[in-house]
Amino acid sequence: VLRFEDDFLKKLEYLHVVSKRAFAGQNRADRLARKRGRGMEFADHRGYAPGDDFRHIDWKAYQRLNRLLLRLFDEEQDLPIYLFVDTSQSMRQPAKFDQARRIAAALCYIGLAHLDRVTILPFGDDLGDETAPGRGKGRIFRVFELLEAMEAKGPTDLREAFMAFAGRTRQTGLAVVISDFLDPHGFEQGLKMLGSMGHEIFVVHVASQADRDPGALGDVRFVDAETGELRDIDVTPGLARAYQDAWETHTSDLERFCGRYNFGYVRADAEQPFEQVILKTFRQGRFIA
Amino acid sequence: VSFAVLPVWAALLLMAAAGAAAVVLFRLKVRPPRVAVPSLVLWRRVLDATRELTWWERVRRAVSLVATAAIAVAIALAVARPGPRLGAASAGRTLIVLDSSWSMLAESSLGGTRWDRAVALARRLAAAAAEGEVAVATTAEGLVEGPTTDLALVETALLQIEPTGGEGGAWPKVAGADAVHFVTDGALSRSLDPGVVVHSVFDAADNVAITAFGAGGATTDRSPAEAYLEVANYSAASQRARLVVSRGTTTVLDQPVDLAAGEAVRQVVPLAGGSGGRVMARVTAPRNALAIDDEAVAWIPGAEVLNVTVVSTDPSALALLFEREASVRATFTSPAAYRAGREDVVIFDRFLPADAPRRPALVIAPGATSWIGERGPEETNPQWAPASRHPVLDGVDLLTLDVKRARPVTGPGLTPIARSQKGTPLVQVVDDADRRYVVVAFAVADSNLPYAQAFPVLIANALEWLARPHYGMLARPGIATLPATVSRVTAPDGSAVAVSAAGGRTSAIVTRPGLYLVEAGGSRGVLGLNVSDPEMSNLARTHVPGSGSSEGEDAGAGLPWWMLAVALAFSLMAIEWLTWQRRITV
Repeated sequence: VLRFEDDFLKKLEYLHVVSKRAFAGQNRADRLARKRGRGMEFADHRGYAPGDDFRHIDWKAYQRLNRLLLRLFDEEQDLPIYLFVDTSQSMRQPAKFDQARRIAAALCYIGLAHLDRVTILPFGDDLGDETAPGRGKGRIFRVFELLEAMEAKGPTDLREAFMAFAGRTRQTGLAVVISDFLDPHGFEQGLKMLGSMGHEIFVVHVASQADRDPGALGDVRFVDAETGELRDIDVTPGLARAYQDAWETHTSDLERFCGRYNFGYVRADAEQPFEQVILKTFRQGRFIA
Repeated sequence: VSFAVLPVWAALLLMAAAGAAAVVLFRLKVRPPRVAVPSLVLWRRVLDATRELTWWERVRRAVSLVATAAIAVAIALAVARPGPRLGAASAGRTLIVLDSSWSMLAESSLGGTRWDRAVALARRLAAAAAEGEVAVATTAEGLVEGPTTDLALVETALLQIEPTGGEGGAWPKVAGADAVHFVTDGALSRSLDPGVVVHSVFDAADNVAITAFGAGGATTDRSPAEAYLEVANYSAASQRARLVVSRGTTTVLDQPVDLAAGEAVRQVVPLAGGSGGRVMARVTAPRNALAIDDEAVAWIPGAEVLNVTVVSTDPSALALLFEREASVRATFTSPAAYRAGREDVVIFDRFLPADAPRRPALVIAPGATSWIGERGPEETNPQWAPASRHPVLDGVDLLTLDVKRARPVTGPGLTPIARSQKGTPLVQVVDDADRRYVVVAFAVADSNLPYAQAFPVLIANALEWLARPHYGMLARPGIATLPATVSRVTAPDGSAVAVSAAGGRTSAIVTRPGLYLVEAGGSRGVLGLNVSDPEMSNLARTHVPGSGSSEGEDAGAGLPWWMLAVALAFSLMAIEWLTWQRRITV
């Protein structure tokens, strides 16, 4: 399910995840870090202090200014990328769950190709076991196996899941949340909490036709996939329209919320071709470049 | 309203039960289909929102309930076969008489035939009178069922009877009948009792018919047989008809004829081609509501070839006679060589075989005492006394016959049809169910018979009567009165017609047009029946006064109510289905 064509993988290698902010990494990589260090790119001068590595003393400046100045370089480190994949029961529809896992796999590959530190975090009403495949694109096959083994079950609770995430000490970085955001408690609290941890948030809203359209008309017993709750509803054309309006409101609320808190937002419909989602939609959303 | 298959109370009960059942079924909580959705979050929001119900959403369930009940009631109504109430329902004894005239077979512009509508009307009459006894009769067959309170018997009778065209005799009567209903198209004029309630199933129809048809044999070699034909167009518009006349298996006329509105065309058709005595005419036209009057038949006496065996020692006179007669195929044999065969007629001239022949026979001067009877006293130069009427003597001028010597025989079954003035039987017949003979008491040599004008006529009459007598053409179906010796009558379609003997005559009820085969004493005669009744074929006219607006019009015209009920039920079902598909209704 999650195997990608070689051509497509090559296209992914030319892409990289865009982070608007610089985060401190752990290892040297090709992404600009917040601290000055031993990178290749000149950043600034500062006065020499005892103990500094005098290999970085700018002797030409000393000749001109008769002052010992130290050359500072931008440190190029890896970017921590946290991929939150919704594995609640509401994602159980094959098209929707496959789309979410493919997106996660593609983003993971892009990160691995650029030596970023990718962490995959499945979540439902709690945070699942996180997986850090390591660095380098050769690890992508482990990622595929991991994603394929994922199973959609249980309810959704973004707040609880991100609270559990906050309890674990980690570097700030880019947090990508891939979900349908059908959280009975609302998506706002969870996303706010995640944003307050200093991460840059990017929301990937996966939706399917079954989410947008009730489908059945007439007397129907709806079964909530997550909770098993039953509800007998006489779906009239008017009620079906009201549901569609509610769905549009839900989507626009999420998008507006993301805009207000400066979160990135991309909507990826399950019926949309996957390559189009990655190569076009994500680029238009300025999530990858 | 009355109902054809149920009493009113039962029909109303059926409709009420159907409506109630529909309502109960509608209100039954049917388990809805389960549909798994990712989450009910959004549904909860939609349902929790205080949305103003539209007017239609408030009433649609009630509308669906009413529509469902209406469908059930309409179907129950159709099953009960409703119709307008036909007079006051009688709790006593009701007689329903259906007109059996052939005009009832006319196709109706309202669908079916007049007869179909009459039967439907009779059903409703019977149902309306179900509280009492019902009897069913036709004008042709008289009483066919009842009086009975069992509607099933009445229904069975109505399914079995059909128009037979005849007027069976007296108007059917049922003792103690409180109400008499007569269902008719009024094609034929009838005088009815004042108490008879007439229901008309008349609706004007165009028709083309053969109103007269007959045929005559050839009189001379230059005057061949001819048929006379009259065709009428009982239509408000002119139309082109096609006439076909055939003799035997040969078509002698096939031509179109333009008939103006109300015009009758008469035509004499020479029957030069073809052979045999059977002549048939047929007319076809585009606007022609009644089929039974489109065909007519005629019979030419003496036109069929007869196989005659002459047993004689000197058959010269008969040989000379038959030599010129194409309709007789004669075989001559001597008495010594005679063996009984399958000829139509055998002629014994001054000879009798030891045993009585099984075939019809003309016996000339039988001579000695034998199985035919005992020899009577001989009379010389007998003088003819006035003879009785008999087909054998039809057209025979006996006074031209000079007889020198007559040797009569007397015996059981011999009926003299011509005597001498002294009472000596000169010509006798035997007309029994199993034998048919003509006995001439004088020999050809003892008279001037070979030279008399009466000779060929007498021989021809005798052969025709013995072999193939013509019993005439009936103008209307009904009871045909035939000689007592008739043993079997066969209808045109080959079926046997029931015959009954009474009062020295045999009666047979003939109902279908065509030629009937009548068998008696070895002869195979012909009886014809044609419709040929202008009064009956004129389908644009009725004798029922005011049938255009009477109760009968209500009863017979327009689509039957049960069809309207079915149409209503199906329309409601279609609307309900279409709107349910779109969830406009529930």
